Amino acid sequence: MAASASPDLECELVVLGAGPGGYSAAFRAADLGMRTVLVERYPTLGGVCLNVGCIPSKALLHTAFIVDAARALAAHGIAFGEPKLDLAKLRASKDKVVGKLTGGLAAMARGRKVAVVQGSGRFVERNRLEVETAQGKQAVRFAAAIIAAGSQSAKLPFLPDDPRIVDSTRALELPAVPKRMLVIGGGIIGLEMGTVYSTLGARLEVVELLDGLMTGTDRDLVAVWQKFNAARFDRVMLGTKTAKAEAVKEGIRVWFEGGQAPGEPQLYDMVLVSVGRTPNGKRIGAEQAGVAVTERGFIETDSQMRTNVPHIYAIGDIARPPLLAHKAVHEGHVAAQAAAGLKSHFDARVIPSVAYTDPEIAWVGLTEEQAARDGARVSVAKFPWSASGRAIANARDEGFTKLVFDAETHRIVGGGIVGAGAGDLISEIALAIEMGADAVDIGRTIHPHPTTSESIGMAAELFEGVCTDLPPARKK
Amino acid sequence: MIEVLVKPGDEVAKEQSLITLESDKATMEIPSPEAGVVKELKVKLGDRVSEGSPIAILLTGEASQAEHPEPQAPMPEAAAPPPEPLGRPVPREPREAIVSKPHASPSVRKFARELGVDLARVSGSGPKGRILHQDVEGFVKGMMAGTPPASPPPLGKGGIGGVNFKLAPWPEVDFAKFGPIEVKPLSRIQKLSGPNLHRNWVSIPHVTQFDEADITELEAFRKANTAETERRGFKLTMLAFLVKACVTALRQYPQLNASLDKSGESLVIKKYFHIGVAVDTPEGLVVPVIRDADRKGVFDLAKELADVSRLARERKLRPGDLQGGSFSISSLGGIGGTAFTPIINAPEVAILGVSRAAMRPVWNGADFAPRLMLPLALSYDHRVIDGASAARFTSYLASVLSDIRKSLL
Repeated sequence: MAASASPDLECELVVLGAGPGGYSAAFRAADLGMRTVLVERYPTLGGVCLNVGCIPSKALLHTAFIVDAARALAAHGIAFGEPKLDLAKLRASKDKVVGKLTGGLAAMARGRKVAVVQGSGRFVERNRLEVETAQGKQAVRFAAAIIAAGSQSAKLPFLPDDPRIVDSTRALELPAVPKRMLVIGGGIIGLEMGTVYSTLGARLEVVELLDGLMTGTDRDLVAVWQKFNAARFDRVMLGTKTAKAEAVKEGIRVWFEGGQAPGEPQLYDMVLVSVGRTPNGKRIGAEQAGVAVTERGFIETDSQMRTNVPHIYAIGDIARPPLLAHKAVHEGHVAAQAAAGLKSHFDARVIPSVAYTDPEIAWVGLTEEQAARDGARVSVAKFPWSASGRAIANARDEGFTKLVFDAETHRIVGGGIVGAGAGDLISEIALAIEMGADAVDIGRTIHPHPTTSESIGMAAELFEGVCTDLPPARKK
Repeated sequence: MIEVLVKPGDEVAKEQSLITLESDKATMEIPSPEAGVVKELKVKLGDRVSEGSPIAILLTGEASQAEHPEPQAPMPEAAAPPPEPLGRPVPREPREAIVSKPHASPSVRKFARELGVDLARVSGSGPKGRILHQDVEGFVKGMMAGTPPASPPPLGKGGIGGVNFKLAPWPEVDFAKFGPIEVKPLSRIQKLSGPNLHRNWVSIPHVTQFDEADITELEAFRKANTAETERRGFKLTMLAFLVKACVTALRQYPQLNASLDKSGESLVIKKYFHIGVAVDTPEGLVVPVIRDADRKGVFDLAKELADVSRLARERKLRPGDLQGGSFSISSLGGIGGTAFTPIINAPEVAILGVSRAAMRPVWNGADFAPRLMLPLALSYDHRVIDGASAARFTSYLASVLSDIRKSLL
């Protein structure tokens, strides 16, 4: 052992990774009285979500939403003229949001006496982790460990190394506003970033290997978003492969194949690669601790988030899909509680998802499509926002609220909402599913008028045949 | 579910067995209602299923061909007719996990986890059958008060049937230290009956009454009639006469054909005579029940005993065959021994153990005469039956066996 090595840190629990799952696990464990060490590669806590993901993207999406809303006011007789963009100031305001949150986290860690060690951590033994810090190697000896090392953007190996080819992290730094922007991968992250850049002035093109945008999301919901946003896109290439790219002086030249590929290669000022995320399971020396990692880099666990090694847990992106911060936080709490000896299990029935596009798309539980595939008999009620007073007053009545019920018991098993603020409405449906509510329960819960949340109560009433905000059902 | 006999892609014939279920000590194979191809199994080994649980999706007729496309030419989804959900006892309605889980909120699920309560076993008293916090509490209280848990706490930890023995820990011995050993898992039936036997043994105050019956005449009578039953294809066993004689004695002493009610304050006297008969099988001991033994002749009883013994050995008993007994007989007469103390089959209150009959010199007042004597051992629940009643019962039973004509009276 090197003479300069500092003495081992001893702790009851080490948490590897300080993203939402990791810091939640560490804080919960500390609150339960465990001596806890939190290892984080970057100088700030909060991981991808706070630093280069959910939060900064929402700061920018909020800005974009207001810009679009201000433009739309022209139709109401109030015109502001063309917005003037100061990119440096926008960047600074976004960084301020991030700084406020990560600063708050650091203070909370101190308040809980959670020791933060900065550097990349790797397991070296079943009970020992080594952190590569700025000051040299620091070993951490632990009784229990929670792996919360997250995921990273997947890369396309054939793309050249060029500052104009960016991933979501780089795109959030707002290096420039391109004239023509290509988004490779039509998933949620790509389309959220596309929305921001398009509002700032970029013309968008998107290429997707599969046959739809936001695959895995109810087509009905996506269709509304797509119609509303059609004007942002010069080209939507579905079932199309990105074959080759070349960095030239004037831009990035990209060749496409199959599907809706244009005949000619196209030239872009910026290319955003958003083709999914890869779990970091293979980058933390898991094998040294005997922890099994799957081919794809996930670490499998039981319902207590315990890996094949009983004193080591895994949570968040590295454990299993869906790769969502709110799922990681719940898993983090379960793992911390289990490590503290409590009988804690992850038994949430559903995990909601939100695309923070404009309009937002949010869904939870079973979709009709999944139900059909699983052979579950369900029945659906869809309340159009064109019948919602509030949505009309907001001049945003393009959305709808859809509830999926078990055909026999009328218990709610899923729901989807597309419309402004859908992400803030979906929780009611998630709660109803967890509580085992049925259509009558939801319909008889009084929803305030006029709100878009009313649409959930009305969809339930529609299902029960007692809704009076729509034309009468035609007698069969 | 203890066995899956098919896998996705298998072709099955109508009535071909799909899975094997086990309940109490019976196993039952579930046949396919239709011929076709198994598309998807909806159950896995170890699942608890009940009437209405979907077992598999079976594609019938043309559908199965559509599901077997050439590898290069996958059929579009829409080309396959809707799969037929399948299953018996009552099929239909495959359910998604969200739907089929117990109706309980997250806080109640958490509470149940902490107490180790399986919510599937708790009935809900909330609106629409929702399981409430107090339902879980009530379930646990019920368990503590003596409703038996599904599996007993580990040996030495006490707490069976509301009794906390505070026992010393079970000795831990490394047997291999003393010589070669082999570890062999208990059979399924042993694993299932062990906890029940343990419960019955520690929670019922057992007393065993011994007696002897002179069956010299009965044995002669039995032998004289064996030719007739053998012609009909079964043996006329002493056990058939024992069942008959027990029914006669139970009529006379009905408190032995009874159970304590749940409160422990009243006796439920049964007006029917369903006699459980312990049968030794390679898998372990099972106790099929001969129903309405009072309404059957000895030939019928002998035939039925032969049938259930065969079914037990072939593991083909149905759960109903093992339920509803009001009194049990365990006969080791065919094997040997002079006496033993059987364990009561709760909630029954008595069990008759029978050992091997032997010729004994019996004083008839003038001489020692050679008589064929059958040893009887009646274990009874002393909370229900007092010693005098038990002794009266066995001596009356012995008198019936020594003169079987009494069963006609």
